[in-house]
Formats: sequence, structure tokens, C-alpha cells
Amino acid sequence: MSAEIPSNLPAEAIRKLLLAFADDELMLGHRDSEWTGHAPILEEDIAFSNIAQDELGHSLVWYTLLEQLTGRSPDSMAFERTWNEFTCCHFVAYPRGDFAYTVVRQYLHDAAEQVRLSSLGQSSYSELKDVAAKLLPEESYHLMHSQGLVERLGDATEESHSRMQAAVDAAFPQALGLFENLDGEENLVSANVFPGNEHLRTKWLEKVVPVLDAASLQAPVEAKNGRIEISCEPDYGGRHRSHTAHLKELVQDLQKVYRMAPSAKW
Amino acid sequence: MTDTQWDTYEVFHQSRRGDPHIHVGSVHAPDPQMALQLARDQFARRLKCVSIWVVNSRHVTATDYQDEDFFAQLTDKSYRDPKNFGAPEK
Repeated sequence: MSAEIPSNLPAEAIRKLLLAFADDELMLGHRDSEWTGHAPILEEDIAFSNIAQDELGHSLVWYTLLEQLTGRSPDSMAFERTWNEFTCCHFVAYPRGDFAYTVVRQYLHDAAEQVRLSSLGQSSYSELKDVAAKLLPEESYHLMHSQGLVERLGDATEESHSRMQAAVDAAFPQALGLFENLDGEENLVSANVFPGNEHLRTKWLEKVVPVLDAASLQAPVEAKNGRIEISCEPDYGGRHRSHTAHLKELVQDLQKVYRMAPSAKW
Repeated sequence: MTDTQWDTYEVFHQSRRGDPHIHVGSVHAPDPQMALQLARDQFARRLKCVSIWVVNSRHVTATDYQDEDFFAQLTDKSYRDPKNFGAPEK
């Protein structure tokens, strides 16, 4: 199967876009997997393990599309790059925190993912459109799950509310890193490959702020002239490979077994 | 201290439209909607599934294993079985 990028589309920027998607999913999937055996109830333990596998599966779909463009295998992309070669946002690499932080992070991510994948239904790059359509149903299920937990835990008890609010305070500025501008993004927008991070961020804010509000959780935003404006400093850097030490630690963990015997066949 | 244990919901799984829903287990959940979601993860991830029912375990009225008389078969009732009629093969 060939996924060759038509010559009228910005190939370099498309590869960067796919890489950002793939790296985000790989890291979040790994963080989610850290709940296996540790979640507060058995049912959530299984649910999070399931979601972790789904996110890793999505990263594989993106890396496989990249492989068709660059020839580099998904295993090589995940296990043979050094930590400062990844382009995931900081958000997905932070330690798992408590269960409230995990739930809020997953919700903010799932909502962004749904906005992102839905918008790619109009992409001028047909491979991107096909992959997005394939992943969307599963991400919609993730959103149902994480949003359900946010709605229930936001104002269940005093303790759940204070933990969830602390999680929103921490995770919201980090989540904005999902929408950090990519190099060459203006070419993607003008070629209708991708509607642009600013556009997606607006859509995302319109989606998540009312849900958090209904769950008695305050996001660091203000309403101005009918628009939702951000009143915190976004946690940027990841898309330009300027990472936190958390990613270094995560990548070491992720690659530990592979690096013991790089030539082993699995 | 208040009881923080969630209710249990009995889970019924249907693998094809028209087939019966079959009891496959139970999940803990705070409400029926969450129970459906968690049941999906526990029981519909690998099995093919087109529909799930969840029922709060409180709403199941059951017999008691101690109450053996309830099912007692004291006289020969084999004459009631249709086995002697030789129904034609389909």
C-alpha cells in the first residue's frame, strides 16, 4: 500500500503532524498502562488497561502511515529514538498522579482527540481522512468513559471535588500543549490538510468548559464577548522537542526491555 | 463511616440480534449508565457483542438454595415429557 503524499501538499509538514499524533498516543498509552493493577476499583483497572492498549494501537496506526512515507518501522520509531527526538506535548508525559488527575487528563485529551479526528474528515490528504475515520469510534467511546467519570466525580463529595479541581488546575494549562503550533502549520492549513491548532483549540474549549462547569469544576478561562479566552500560561515546548525530565524517565522505562536485546524477534 | 461500596449490576450479553441475552457476570458501578460502560470493558471487549443489559442486583428476585422443596420432583412425571411422541425430524 502506498500512502505517497500528492505533490501539491506540504509533505514535510504532514510528516510532522503525523509524528505529533503518534508520539502523543504512545506516551499517553504508556502512562495509562501504569494503572494496571493499581486503579481504585477492579472495573476501572480493566477499563484503563483497555484504554491504554487502544492508545498504543492508535500510535501504531499513525506510525504505520509514517512508515509508508519514510520507510522507518513503528518499532524503530518507538524504541530506537532518544527521548529528545519525540515531539509529544509535555501533557501526555507527566506522571500519572492520583486517579483524579488521570481522569481529568484523559478527559481533556479524549475531547481534543475527538475534535481533532472529526475535523480531519475534511482533510485534503486522503490517508489522513481514512485513518481519522477509523480511529474516531474508539476515541468517542473513550470520551464517553472519561466524561462520565468527570461528571460524577466533579461534585460527588467534598474530597472528590477538591481532588478534581486540583487536577483541573494542574492539567488544563498542560492540555493546551496539545494545540501548540507546528512548524509549517500555515502550509497545512492553506492546503486544507488540517484546520489548524488555533481552530481546534477553540472547538475544544467550547466542548470542555461547559462540561467542567456542569461538574462544578472551574477551568482557568474567562468569557469575553461571547468567546472563551484562556487565562493561564499554556505548557508548550514538546512539539519543538524541548521536553521535561518526565519524558526522559518515561522513555527509559518504555525502551528498557527493547534495549536489552535490540535484535530480538518478538 | 458511610458505606462507599457501589451497587452491583448483573450483566447480560447478546452476541447476535435475536439470540437470548446471556448472564455473563456482574460489575460494581455507581449508576446504570456507568454500569453499561464498565460492562462493555469487562465483557464486550473480546466477545462479539450487539447488546448488553445491566440490572441492579437488588432487582433480581431469586430462590434460596436452602429451599430444596421449591424444586422437588416427588412423583414420576416422565409421562409429561414430549419424548414419547416421536415428533418428526425437521
